[in-house]
Amino acid sequence: MKFSRMVIASVLALAACGTADTPTTPAPGGSGALTPIKLQLQWFYQAQFGGYLAAVDQGFYREQGLDVTLLEGGVDIVPQTVLAQGKADYAVAWVPKALASREQGAGITDVGQIFARSGTYQVAWADSGIRTAADLKGKKVGNWGFGNEFELFAGITKAGLNPGSDVTLVQQQFDMQALLKKEIDAAQAMSYNEYAQLLEAKNPATGKLYTPADFSIIDWKTEGTSMLQDAVWANTAKLSDPAYQQQTVKFLTATIKGWAFCRDNAEKCRDLVVAKGSKLGKSHQLWQMNEVNKLIWPSPGGIGLVDETAWKQTVDISMTTKNQTGDTVLTKAPEGLAYTNDYIKQAIEQAKAAGVDVNGSAFQPATVTLTEGGA
Amino acid sequence: MRRLLPPLITGLLALVLWELFVRLGRVAPFILPAPSAIGTELTAQRANVWDAALASGANALIGLIGGTVVAVLAALAASRFRPLGDLSVPIAALVNALPIIALAPILNNMFESTSSVPRRLVTGIVVFFPVFLNTLRGLREVDPVHQELMRTYAASGWTFATKVRLPGALGHLFTGLRQASALAVIAAVVAEYFGGLQDGLGARITSAAAFTAYPRAWAFVVGACLLGLTFYLATLLLERLAMPWKRVSS
Repeated sequence: MKFSRMVIASVLALAACGTADTPTTPAPGGSGALTPIKLQLQWFYQAQFGGYLAAVDQGFYREQGLDVTLLEGGVDIVPQTVLAQGKADYAVAWVPKALASREQGAGITDVGQIFARSGTYQVAWADSGIRTAADLKGKKVGNWGFGNEFELFAGITKAGLNPGSDVTLVQQQFDMQALLKKEIDAAQAMSYNEYAQLLEAKNPATGKLYTPADFSIIDWKTEGTSMLQDAVWANTAKLSDPAYQQQTVKFLTATIKGWAFCRDNAEKCRDLVVAKGSKLGKSHQLWQMNEVNKLIWPSPGGIGLVDETAWKQTVDISMTTKNQTGDTVLTKAPEGLAYTNDYIKQAIEQAKAAGVDVNGSAFQPATVTLTEGGA
Repeated sequence: MRRLLPPLITGLLALVLWELFVRLGRVAPFILPAPSAIGTELTAQRANVWDAALASGANALIGLIGGTVVAVLAALAASRFRPLGDLSVPIAALVNALPIIALAPILNNMFESTSSVPRRLVTGIVVFFPVFLNTLRGLREVDPVHQELMRTYAASGWTFATKVRLPGALGHLFTGLRQASALAVIAAVVAEYFGGLQDGLGARITSAAAFTAYPRAWAFVVGACLLGLTFYLATLLLERLAMPWKRVSS
């Protein structure tokens, strides 16, 4: 009998961390005290998350009655499941990966599509003749796996190649060593991170740093197989609670202010990121801030609004593109509330009313000079 | 059959309990998938599991053979020359204490990222220790009567080693091999977590897990279990073939 009691107890314990339990949300700022909020980031502290860091540092969250703690990500941290398990109130995650988690029962909703555009490149040496996805035929192609590979696979497939047999796929570390050593012909790189690492490396032939002229870039945006990336995800079950809805609007309002701040004060945000202990140095983080701003601004509809067409393209690729094992991101169309513009629209209005430029139509990217090793 | 029945029933019962636990407890699939979901994935992914098991299995087998050959030779040398033996055991223990997590990335950096050599080396290093230690123990336990006999024949050291020491140490060698066979599969799979070709079970498990496709990840874990079991049974079979004289007693 003891045994069955143990089973019931452990079922209950497990149920508490993996089912649709909806803890109530206190109304933010209702009692004058700050509401504690945890935001799970997707990766280590870097300029990719500059807007959130700025919103904490500049007190934008505080003025909304929120006390936000940022949880740093890492190789084995899946932000959307951290959110679904109730260990965080919001999470930053790429759309395809988060949709895959939704299909596995994670109750999460995209409430703010902060990055409107994808920053994924496939980079090759300029003299390799690789200019488009079709040129990858018969080449050694690096990819990160872990669900970061689907834009590449969609691009290869769209070019009429079979990713399983027409290219040699290599698991790439999250660095560019394999390309620099010419072990692979093309490497996956984020415009704001790994691509900069190439330009921070010294060319042994000249003794100077490599330049963009040394490389050719396949940009999935121009190949038409880009997918939506960094978005703010909220807990779907909690979204039925008016207090959490209010809190979400407040959180997004402050987040918008944070990103607008980083658009207008890239160097200040860079300093925040470096002070937080980013892995790479100042010039690298300024480059990253600038590239990330390009993915957000200009934003005709207002920052964070989910674009129907981009969403549809992301879902279509998720359902049809097969990776090397023949798996797709999704087996069926997302059910329920996969995304909503309700809260971001309110947040955009509130930010506008507070005098924030939510479109950044005048945004001009800066020219960033990188130094060796990104120092 | 009678010996196999109790474990089979226990296993089935555990699976049924697991299934009920997930269904009745409304445990989300991304926390713990039900065995039925894993079974479905295993059927759907059988070709992938097979291919991945072959890739990991090849690495494990090459590492196991290489590590065993080196370990037996080292044990022979260590048993012949006592000072070498005294010196080699602590060094072997030191090598054994090297964690895969430290070894794999270092070896990966030494070779091309498309090479399977680092994984095979990791496996070989992991295999080396149990085989070396057990074989050495066996080699040192020579029956004094045999030793006397060989001395009267004026046999050379090499003859003595191949005719007496090695056959005498076979039992110990296989004890080491039995431990090493399962370790080899674990090492080959875990070594894949640190980069290289995405062709084996380890790469598939991490990729699926990072994608919250846990039923799929578990399907590959089942593949890894079966691969480990295959290695273990093959070692048992080999032992029977190599030492027919033991069959009578067991």
